[in-house]
Amino acid sequence: MTAPAVPAGAGGVVVARRQPGLLRQILRRPDGLAGAAILLVFTVLAVIPDILTGPLQTAITATGPRLAPPSVEFPLGTDELGRSMLNLTVHATRISMVIGLLATLVTVLIGAVLGIVSGYVGGRFDALVMRIADFFLVIPTFVLAIILTAIIRDVLGTGSREIFGIRLSLITIVVVIGITSWSSTARIIRSQTLSLKERAFVDRARVVGAGAGHIMRRHILPNVTNLIVANAVLTFAGAILTETTLSFVGLGDPFQPSWGQLLDAARTVGAPGLGAWWYFMPAGVGIVLVVFAFTLLGSALDAILNPKLQSRR
Amino acid sequence: MGLQYVLRRVATAIFTIVLIVLLNFLLFRAMPGSPERILLGRMPGVTPQILQETRERWGLDKPLVPDQLVRYVASTLQGDLGFSYSARGRPVTDVLAQRLGPTLLLFGLGEAFAIVMGLVLGAYSGWKRGGVVDYVGNGVSLILYSTPYFLLGMGLLLVFATGLGWFPTFGMSTAGATYAGPVDRLVDYGSHLVLPLATVALGLIGQYAILMRSSVIETLGEDYVTTARAMGFRDTRVLRHHALPNAMLPTVTLVAINLGYVVAGAITVEVVFNWPGLGTLTVDALSSRDYPVLQGVFLLLSVAVVFANLAADLIYGVLDPRVRT
Repeated sequence: MTAPAVPAGAGGVVVARRQPGLLRQILRRPDGLAGAAILLVFTVLAVIPDILTGPLQTAITATGPRLAPPSVEFPLGTDELGRSMLNLTVHATRISMVIGLLATLVTVLIGAVLGIVSGYVGGRFDALVMRIADFFLVIPTFVLAIILTAIIRDVLGTGSREIFGIRLSLITIVVVIGITSWSSTARIIRSQTLSLKERAFVDRARVVGAGAGHIMRRHILPNVTNLIVANAVLTFAGAILTETTLSFVGLGDPFQPSWGQLLDAARTVGAPGLGAWWYFMPAGVGIVLVVFAFTLLGSALDAILNPKLQSRR
Repeated sequence: MGLQYVLRRVATAIFTIVLIVLLNFLLFRAMPGSPERILLGRMPGVTPQILQETRERWGLDKPLVPDQLVRYVASTLQGDLGFSYSARGRPVTDVLAQRLGPTLLLFGLGEAFAIVMGLVLGAYSGWKRGGVVDYVGNGVSLILYSTPYFLLGMGLLLVFATGLGWFPTFGMSTAGATYAGPVDRLVDYGSHLVLPLATVALGLIGQYAILMRSSVIETLGEDYVTTARAMGFRDTRVLRHHALPNAMLPTVTLVAINLGYVVAGAITVEVVFNWPGLGTLTVDALSSRDYPVLQGVFLLLSVAVVFANLAADLIYGVLDPRVRT
């Protein structure tokens, strides 16, 4: 993967100081605006699912007929237990978005820390970290993620403990996504750090006696923040897709269904073969729209932060 | 392309494979339940003495490093990946070999279709930038790129198998069918292949088209293209002889690098269509917690991807003489 390299001039102090304007710049572009609008809708769904559709229905509280097509009472039909698909899909939005967000935070945290330290410190540590990053870039991380999730689940056991309102079984997915997808972030941040540390202001800080930790926190980090944000946007899309796929192969949690979990349930029931399109279309549309929105945002950010590309458009 | 370049690439590939084997070894240690317990199963009347004997017999009383590790690496090199839990007694290698064919068929063909169509679509949209094909193609590519493969598969299944009834819904052939002749057999297999193949191809076209488009656009801005135009060559000639060959270069590497991600899609498409390949095997192994099989799949796919990357690096070295290190 080629890093969307930001030319040395773009990541300077000037851009960092302009940061409040970044959002406005995004919204001024059609792709950025469309992406932000879609995400806003889904964020609202994720924040207040209870108000919109009532609490998450279970096999006990289900009231509808089994596997019924959309009707006035059940606008998106029902599943094989008679639960409203509208209710399930809206609640699944919350689970998918929260897991996506947490996984993005973990991924970007690992990637940014390793990238900055590796780039700044250099030497053997850098060589080692980059070797490991390359390793993760090459291997099919998804298969590794499946094995890791299964092992961690079996070791920890699946209790009903919750962190951030998310069951432990799903937190496992968050951690595994973080472990398996930090490498591209680390590479991108590292290459930017490499060019930053040669700049005069870093030299100046070093001359006046600033330590490595101080320089990385106060001088490097603020200058890679934009890059981290741009990278987080793309990571978010990837995290949602990975979570969806992991849930689809049976690693979801039926007690906290995400979009992927709903799709897995639809496949298990044989919804496509039964013609029950309402079972998987809503969740499917949700995934595609959210990932699409992040891709749009990503391209908007890329164009703003990468002036070389912008001038050619 | 110097000898040093080749050696360096081969060394990197070997290093990666060593890491994969090490990781596999560590994962095996991290698994819940001690190995001797798994070996003995839930047999009643297991005395400490039997446990000790089992441990000695399988070398589990020796230290983890180096004895157990050496033994693990040696047997892995000999193609001994252990035994499947669920398909009792069957060596993992056998299980994998049986599933490899269908996966290779599906993804070999799917990749080939997607690469050809994706590159053509991408090249054309990049060339006629801002045109109808570019506009529509780019939008469709982006949406396909945002769609999980299995979702695409479920959609195709719903429309073309359940709705229109044009194709069978699952498997690689009709169960229990007797064929009048080889043509019949081929038609049956072929009709089962269409939808999974279309899913894989459609799922991949998006990313290849996006890639090729940006690569072509980048190349069209190069000085040598401007020069060729200034020299009065026709547009098609400039595209075919000057822009395209150079635009193809980055795609070689990216196709190989993307293989690792493609594998994830592979797994899920097979599940949707009950295609009897490695993907379905993985999901079945996952639900029965058949770790030896899971690790076998991981090893096989990783090594395959590493080799594909090595091949891409070497091809790139031949195609682009500027690459030295």
